[in-house]
Amino acid sequence: MSLDDPELPTTVRATLDSAGRLVAADPRLLALNARAGGMIGAPLAVPALARTVRHALRLRVPVSRTVIVAEGGEDLDLWVRAEPMADPERGGVDLLLVGWKARDVWQPAVLRGNYHHRFRHSAAQWVWETDSALSLTRLSERATVSPDFDGTACLGHPLTRLFALAEDDVRAFPILSGLALRQPFDRQPATVRQTGQMVLLSARPLTDKHGAFCGFAGAACRTDAANRANTNLPSLVSSDLDAFTSNIAERLDRTLRMPLDRIIATAETIQAQADGPLRQDYADYAADIVNAGRHLVGLVDDLVDLQTIELPGFTILPQPVDLAEIARRAAGLLRMRASTARVQIDAPAFEHVLPTTGNARRALQIVVNLVANAVRYSPLDGMIWVRAEREGAVGAIIVGDQGKGIALADQARIFNKFERVDPREAGGSGLGLYIARRLARAMGGDVTVDSAPGQGARFVFTLPFDARDMT
Amino acid sequence: MSDDGRNTDMGANQGVRLLLARATAAETRAADRLYGAIADVAIDDAVRMDDRTRLRLRAVLAQLAGGVETALRSHAARLLILRDEAGLAARLTDSPTPVFARLNASGLLRDPALIGELLARVREDAVADALAIVAPDDPDRPSLLPRLLHHANPLVGASAAALMTAESRRHSHAPVGTSPSSDLPAELHHHLVWWSAAALRMAVADNGDGALWALDSALAEAATHAIAAYVEEDRLEAVAMRLASALDPDADARTRLLVEALSDRRLSLVIALLAQGLGLEYTDMREIVLDPGGERLWLALRALDLDRATIARIGLALAEADPQRDVDAFADVLDVIVATDCTVARQALAPLRLHREYRAALRAVERGVRLSLPSGAMSG
Repeated sequence: MSLDDPELPTTVRATLDSAGRLVAADPRLLALNARAGGMIGAPLAVPALARTVRHALRLRVPVSRTVIVAEGGEDLDLWVRAEPMADPERGGVDLLLVGWKARDVWQPAVLRGNYHHRFRHSAAQWVWETDSALSLTRLSERATVSPDFDGTACLGHPLTRLFALAEDDVRAFPILSGLALRQPFDRQPATVRQTGQMVLLSARPLTDKHGAFCGFAGAACRTDAANRANTNLPSLVSSDLDAFTSNIAERLDRTLRMPLDRIIATAETIQAQADGPLRQDYADYAADIVNAGRHLVGLVDDLVDLQTIELPGFTILPQPVDLAEIARRAAGLLRMRASTARVQIDAPAFEHVLPTTGNARRALQIVVNLVANAVRYSPLDGMIWVRAEREGAVGAIIVGDQGKGIALADQARIFNKFERVDPREAGGSGLGLYIARRLARAMGGDVTVDSAPGQGARFVFTLPFDARDMT
Repeated sequence: MSDDGRNTDMGANQGVRLLLARATAAETRAADRLYGAIADVAIDDAVRMDDRTRLRLRAVLAQLAGGVETALRSHAARLLILRDEAGLAARLTDSPTPVFARLNASGLLRDPALIGELLARVREDAVADALAIVAPDDPDRPSLLPRLLHHANPLVGASAAALMTAESRRHSHAPVGTSPSSDLPAELHHHLVWWSAAALRMAVADNGDGALWALDSALAEAATHAIAAYVEEDRLEAVAMRLASALDPDADARTRLLVEALSDRRLSLVIALLAQGLGLEYTDMREIVLDPGGERLWLALRALDLDRATIARIGLALAEADPQRDVDAFADVLDVIVATDCTVARQALAPLRLHREYRAALRAVERGVRLSLPSGAMSG
């Protein structure tokens, strides 16, 4: 039996006498206590629980806390409430344990789900908090001092005095479902009553130690002012949403790049032990931080690219590009990483020339992406072939590896946004191939794949052949 | 590579000069580091700030100085442009050194009153943020401050609204340079404004020469303006005291208000309610509430004739929010606290009602004597 079994009750009770000795308990707690060496008639053997009981007995007020309890190889998260009995004759404590779930292995915030809220808060014009009756209890300073808006008058009043709520584009009120289910909500369209400003509200619920609802902590993001001036129709909401999302990359760049650069630089300093010797495992942790930071910077780069290529009318001015040279440079850039992964790259010979039209920087970006993918999926001591060939009206770079290949069904999927060649594999934003293909197409070329499972993958990047350069 | 030997020599000479200058600077830096290390190693662990408090304190300092600096720069620049001194105005707005760095380097920020105030503020924020939020019994009933808006006494309503505004301002952690209000006691705000004006003047003077009387007069005028525009009554501490005085609760009401304010994580109101009940200043009560030892707080709670359960709740809530406190030590003395006569507790706190400056002077003399004793004993 695992304590984490969903079939087991998650609310467990126990009674203790005035000396803190266990009188009775539900089987689940009995089992936990027995495994820790405790029994009926003795004080609880689980230290965090015993401490809570002792505090309630001594202070004679209810004590509730979140505690972590070790159970076998797992850590359990428990909400504990120890309440002194009302009857002074008995003088004991009623113990209530709620939650009872295995503590999650640490995960990056992006996977934990609160990432979106942090992100929204970084872009928010102001942040707000309410109590459980939805009265406004806090507003960020920007909302209280802005020249055209004084939110002060709304503090203490219902949230709806500040914001007039509207339906979203699927004719729903996200805040209502958030309130009903005590869940985070997002993209609730609203108007600031005092100014007529359109905003989008998002919030997460505030809960106390027992999970009871205490209010919302939220953010308000102003939607694009220009759109608002042009139209007053209900469709306004969706056009505002577009304007909102199109700024995401810019905001990411602004809010993330500087702190990330600083994190990487500092972690590199720690790793290099520049300020004095350090235990090796700490230096290694710093190396992990550097790697994770670089990965995130790569993600920011990808998203900024994504925004650029998704602008309407995005094109790239054609210039002569020697694709063979591009292939050699990409191979050169990745040789170090390849040798670390014990993979060899076979690039076109030095004298090989393949004239095409496109943009050299963008072409290099594409080939680097394809070769880096190949390195990532190559087996140890594998080989990657980078060939530059003319195929009729196009010049092509072919990147082949000896990895596990890509099933036919996945070959279209991997060019979609946020898809990965192997979703189980860590790293990568899932944007690389999408961006590569969009860039190639904007230069009049393409990126395609042909592969079969077990036979390695073969990516082909084409650009229009530049016949003028044949002389 | 150049064939012109002369150019190469000049370049080399310049390089040598630069290297020598940097070597001299490095020597100074090494000495600075040494004295920094000496100062650091001499601090007793019992009084050393923890890293989080130090970071937050520096951030608050930088934020305050940045806010004052932005206001001074823009106001003085406007005045200079009006007086046909656009060049000076540009030098003033373009001078890159932040006032904070200069004030810090000058040692002006080693001001016990300023640092004491900010340290207390940082500690109060940290404890308030860490207080456990408690859901109300009736989720449809608004929390304490929103309810007080509709109090029969309009002064209570206005003060509750002002407290929510002041707390929003204090907790919004606005980026450096964007917050126009320092929220400091007037005297400290005045100091900070004049220091910042002087630091700005020095920064511009470093960037060139020429008659700077126009700059001096513009900065002085901007500083006077910043001081005149400052409303001390809007400070969080003042507003909280105003609300507590307007409420002027009896013993039962005070108990209820304290417990509810604590559940709503309104620590400033808790402090103000205690201070008002005991006739103390906010600053003194804050020091008592934030002191991890807690002995003076237990006396204060007892002096207000609070019952055992309320004292236990307050002590427990603070202990859970502040890792420096010890619940078991509190439990050890709880019965002694409750057994203490409330008049005795009041008498014990009476010195706190003496004039602040007088108490500070008493402490300074006592500390001076204590520090000088060991060396005196040695020489004797």
